[in-house]
Amino acid sequence: MRAVTNLFRAREMPVFLALVVVVAIAGIANPAFLSAAGAIDILLGVAIVAILAVGQTFVIVMRHIDLSVGSLIGFTSFLIGDMYAQGYGLWGGLAAALAVGLAVGAANGFLVAYLKLPSLVVTLGALYIVRGVFNDYAFGRTITAAMVPPEVAWIGLNRLGGIPYLFLIGLSLVIISGLVMRRVKAARDLYAIGSNPAAAELAGIPVARRVFGAFVLNGAITGMAGAVMLGRFNAANANSGLALELIVIAACVVGGVTIAGGSGSVWGAFLGAILLQAITRTIGALGIPQFWQQAFNGGLIILAIAFDKYLNSRVKTTTIMGSHND
Amino acid sequence: MVLASSQGGPPVLEMVHVAKSFGGVRALVDANLTLYSGEAHALLGENGAGKSTLLKALAGVHKADAGEITLKGKPFEQGSTKDSIEQGIAVIYQEPSLFPDLTLAENVFIGRQLTNSGLVDWAAMEKASRELFNRLGVTLDPHQKARGISIADQQIVEIAKALSTDASVIVMDEPTAALSSKEVERLFTVVRNLREQGSAVVFVSHRLDEVFALCDRMTVMRDGSTVGSALISETSENEVVQLMVGREVSDLYPKLPPKIGEVVLEVHKLSLEGQFSDISFEVRAGEIFALAGLVGSGRSEVIRAIFGIDRYDSGSVTLNGKSLPTGKPAASMSAGIALVPEDRRQQGLFMASSIARNVAVTLLKKLSTWLLVRKRREESAAEQWATTLQLKFASLDDPVERLSGGNQQKVVLSKWLATEPQVLIVDEPTRGIDVGTKAEVHRLLSQKAQQGMAVVMVSSELPEVLGMADRIFVMREGTHMGTLNRDEADPEKIITLATGGVIAR
Repeated sequence: MRAVTNLFRAREMPVFLALVVVVAIAGIANPAFLSAAGAIDILLGVAIVAILAVGQTFVIVMRHIDLSVGSLIGFTSFLIGDMYAQGYGLWGGLAAALAVGLAVGAANGFLVAYLKLPSLVVTLGALYIVRGVFNDYAFGRTITAAMVPPEVAWIGLNRLGGIPYLFLIGLSLVIISGLVMRRVKAARDLYAIGSNPAAAELAGIPVARRVFGAFVLNGAITGMAGAVMLGRFNAANANSGLALELIVIAACVVGGVTIAGGSGSVWGAFLGAILLQAITRTIGALGIPQFWQQAFNGGLIILAIAFDKYLNSRVKTTTIMGSHND
Repeated sequence: MVLASSQGGPPVLEMVHVAKSFGGVRALVDANLTLYSGEAHALLGENGAGKSTLLKALAGVHKADAGEITLKGKPFEQGSTKDSIEQGIAVIYQEPSLFPDLTLAENVFIGRQLTNSGLVDWAAMEKASRELFNRLGVTLDPHQKARGISIADQQIVEIAKALSTDASVIVMDEPTAALSSKEVERLFTVVRNLREQGSAVVFVSHRLDEVFALCDRMTVMRDGSTVGSALISETSENEVVQLMVGREVSDLYPKLPPKIGEVVLEVHKLSLEGQFSDISFEVRAGEIFALAGLVGSGRSEVIRAIFGIDRYDSGSVTLNGKSLPTGKPAASMSAGIALVPEDRRQQGLFMASSIARNVAVTLLKKLSTWLLVRKRREESAAEQWATTLQLKFASLDDPVERLSGGNQQKVVLSKWLATEPQVLIVDEPTRGIDVGTKAEVHRLLSQKAQQGMAVVMVSSELPEVLGMADRIFVMREGTHMGTLNRDEADPEKIITLATGGVIAR
């Protein structure tokens, strides 16, 4: 009984319902949307954002943010192709992508956790630095289909039981991370840190180590996601991943990962990613001009924040704990 | 009450000659504290006496520069907060330190979650915290999030947390400061139970009546050193106060003879749905007018509405015969009303800004030329008030957050007094500040009233209300229960009105 009430009370529920509504509208307006091909299109499109949203969730629940992921995933997707083309093979490329991801994550994490610099600024800097290094490295070159490791290309093209492998990779990451965030002590600490940073110190939580760890983890996930991106597009250039971080953060926020920290789940972020993607497709299916899509998604982000605010204000705030803005 | 353990057994905690400096400031010089199992021990002293620093050394927040700490016969490892928790120290801080987004169960076990084959076991944590809550005699839902629960309940969760670590020493830093009298009673029952179960409870409070009602022994600190320790049964409130301030406190409520003038502030049939209804009163120049009642009786809401922070539904507020608009603090300010809020950290001060800036912020118009604030003028204005209020600080450029609670309150007061208001509204003017500063604040309010200022004071402390007010307006659940003149008021009458009884006249 409690499980059922919890399911309906969950913050993810309205996101899921919104998704159902969007799909229903699109399906009525254009039955082709509900076809297998239409669904696969959405699943394929959602994989990258879903994976990055998982990593970002680890960071946002701590009341931090990582803006460097778009530059980073673009760089590592280029790197995997380039390393393969130069004869280092698939594993050489993946190892390089992981190393770059870990390094950027560790640099972000060090500055935020130990030097106590604001993550918004640190990762904004990292966004430009990584993109700059990437542009210099790419130097006008592009990764073409011939330079993509065949295994990566295969995964990008094929399906298991009709479901794209890329989506399955994203889904398994969501399932594992969902379990981790709910059942692993260190991950629970991230929620505590985001909910009340000062109290986290007093409760004996190793705050700096946890913040560092979460940034490193996000860096590693993003670095490896370069392979997923390369498989999806079968190509890469110096503009790969440009502005992707904003879509990722939008997915998290729409999915109920509170930007003020302390609450939200990878499942929410995952649903948020699917919802944004479904809206994009729906707008196409309804024949509405594409530029409305961005405005619509923007409105959705604001709606999500307003909704969270409303949820919090419904709780009787007779104490000074009610405020998040201190 | 006789203490078996303090007569025989060895102490559970001994802190000897503990010293600690921050930069050049010596916060602890020679602090000593001895605790026995099964006692409630009061730690007393004015703000800035070093109580908090001593407790933070125990909590692992600060590391002492010198001294010895022995816990259960073994040297105490001073490391991190985690180390202290693991050695059996639990601290319940004055500022709430729960996690609003986490469930109560997880709050109890945070950092030490119960696990089952490596994974967090939610069912076990909920069961265990439910048992702890039952043991403490409260019905809290472990599954509920901590956001929005009352301060009293937050403390219960903290105490449950302490119990779950099997803490041998439980420190409570001013736990009653924000509680209603009913909640204080519940807390006392819990503390008595803890004591019977063999914990040593350190109880920090500025309310001596509570200390005498609850504690077995006490230690007094002054200027970073322990100046005395005694059995409560062998001392008196007067003696304790003398030890704390190091001098005789001649009069705690230095009320000057009032010079009552014309009506300044008139509140007529003020109502706000769900908060208060039909509130009418007049306040005259030179008068100290107290709003009394239990916590939650709507007193703060009324003064917020008068000042214009919240809108009211109906009624009127008139100052010198001119009606004030609802919901416009700026209009109230320029008309001559000032409000010193209850929660000074969140509403009254810019914690990271300098003392000078905080004092001068209400005067910006006066201190500026061509939109630019003149720093010299800002400083001289602040200096003047710092002297009047005997503020203790290193430099006017220091951020306010470095001041002690009492001195912070003085900064808030000076900030508003600097505007030379006709009506000063103060909400709990002396909550959480020490005896010495309290007297200074009272002296100041009394002085200002004698000079013709009308003072409206919300206070939950009966001695303060009885000692300071010329008239007492008692509220209960948002309605006016009765008004008492200074000469007819006594604690019994106020409490009778505040709890809904009728006074036989």
